[in-house]
Amino acid sequence: MKLAQATNRRRFLAEAAIGSGALIAAPALAQSMVDLHLPGGPSERPMTSAFPGKGNMILQRIHPPLLETPMSVFNGDVFTPNDQFFVRWHWADIPTAIDVEAFRIKVHGAVTRPLSISLAQLLKLPRVELAAINQCSGNSRALFQPPVAGAQWRHGAMGNAKWLGVRLRDVLDIAGVKPGAVAVRFGALDQPVVAGGPDFAKSLSIDHARDGEVMLAFGMNGEQMPLLNGFPVRLIVPGWYSTYWVKMLNDIEVLAAPDDGYWMAKAYKIPDTPGANVRPGQKDFPAVPINKMIPRSWVTSLDEGQAIAFDRSIPLGGIAMGGDCGVAKVDVSTDNGKTWYKTVLGPDHGKYSFRRWDAQVPLTHAGPTRLMSRCWNTAGIAQPMTPIWNPGGFMRGNIETTNIVVG
Amino acid sequence: MKTPSIGTLSFGFVGATVVLLLAIGSPNSRVAPPPAAPTAPPPPSVSARGFSLASTSVDLPTDEGQYPAGPHADVINANCTSCHSASMALNQPPLSGDQWTAEVTKMREVYKAPVAAADVPAIVAYLTAMSTKQPGAAKGKAQDPDPKAAPDVSGGSG
Ligand code: HEC
Repeated sequence: MKLAQATNRRRFLAEAAIGSGALIAAPALAQSMVDLHLPGGPSERPMTSAFPGKGNMILQRIHPPLLETPMSVFNGDVFTPNDQFFVRWHWADIPTAIDVEAFRIKVHGAVTRPLSISLAQLLKLPRVELAAINQCSGNSRALFQPPVAGAQWRHGAMGNAKWLGVRLRDVLDIAGVKPGAVAVRFGALDQPVVAGGPDFAKSLSIDHARDGEVMLAFGMNGEQMPLLNGFPVRLIVPGWYSTYWVKMLNDIEVLAAPDDGYWMAKAYKIPDTPGANVRPGQKDFPAVPINKMIPRSWVTSLDEGQAIAFDRSIPLGGIAMGGDCGVAKVDVSTDNGKTWYKTVLGPDHGKYSFRRWDAQVPLTHAGPTRLMSRCWNTAGIAQPMTPIWNPGGFMRGNIETTNIVVG
Repeated sequence: MKTPSIGTLSFGFVGATVVLLLAIGSPNSRVAPPPAAPTAPPPPSVSARGFSLASTSVDLPTDEGQYPAGPHADVINANCTSCHSASMALNQPPLSGDQWTAEVTKMREVYKAPVAAADVPAIVAYLTAMSTKQPGAAKGKAQDPDPKAAPDVSGGSG
């Protein structure tokens, strides 16, 4: 199986060749394989740096790309490097060339002045920069038990960046939102590869869209963003899951009625229950579109399965997020959650950013050891011990365990 | 470029709005096209107020990966490699026959996969056999979605 560099992105159905059934081993573009330690299904993935603008990434899917960030990256700077920021597309018709002079963002619908905004014009608007975590709704889905279908991510479908751009509110104000508008829908350049397939589009309530925090970003950690992360402009919805962070945004439509499109009305919906939790197999629950993120934290200074020498006390570090608000504190345990120790939080880059934590913690014994971290956000919500379950595999947020072996 | 410090870089917005209204106009009042580009090209770029965006063109890897050999591999390879890599299905945890039926139904009904109804049993058989070979194979447990309702219940994705 070879990695062709030819890129007729509209290749497509015509070529759905009947193969002889070559084994799916490491594709030719794989530099090595990595074990994601998944409980349910196939656990090995290739590592690849074959994607434009991207360094070494966990390959979940080539076409269209699903690239996961290796956990070790999160032990570096709290801002995820652009070239290791995760990548996630639904449909494979992704433009591979963007002309910055020709690109326009259309603003239309229930507005008094429909607009067609060029990038030159966008760059002249009042600017904001905000640190915010972009996390896939299905991040950590592969850890759901019983397992659920969908992209089988471990924890790396997330990243934190400084987003530079303009307020959506300012753009909407220039267009003049008409009375009676209820929502704003965001469409993008990527397209379904079959006629009639649901084009990816997401919407926010008009009040959310005008809250002054939602942004149209063109800068990511001080640079233009990699094409695979949404160049030239992507929506930033601080504190909300990545499904709303529409990439290659080129269409803003103010709606006078709720969005009944597939991606809002059917997909990315969670049980309207506490913690989005239902009994495995349960079907009779009310569902709502996924929305705000919840607190999470991870040990990043040691990897799953790592062996270390015994010591009375060891340094432990990691990252935490508050979800839709800041991180208040993080505690850690080295004895499967029996004893908890305080950690010291690193610099505060704003409530939507990752926050580094560090601690020096005792080890009581040699052998297999379960490390845990627990985040409280500033709203007083703590990560629960018990995992949730829902059929979409969304919103995992329980205390995570890193298994190490102390020698 | 050096990134400005986190937080809001504020500007007199009322003034800016007026200027922008004039500058942006409606979709029909486009500004005149820029003068013809000089022959030797750095990628075209636009910039203002200390930030530039340059035109970009990339090559995306294509996937020649196929479903491994086995009964009905020809059918699944003919139907399930066009929209996305085979790895999308091959990386799934073990699913029951009902769950795979729900997935294939979703591909056809929601994503408009051009899969003939006659091919569905062979595809489901291939995928179910694949799941059975996995260590933690599903035994048709409580999580089985209703094959018809599945697309409407969770819609999935993420
Ligand atoms: C018309 C295009 C199309 C075809 C053909 C197609 N799929 Fe899909 N499939 C999709 C889309 C779109 C997704 C969602 C992708 C994403 O979320 O990234 C998807 C997702 C999946 C998933 C992940 C679980 C889920 O529900 O999102 C599986 C498994 C899958 N497809 C299996 C198959 C199988 C098996 C076939 C052959 C019967 C097939 N697909 C054919 C479009 C297609």
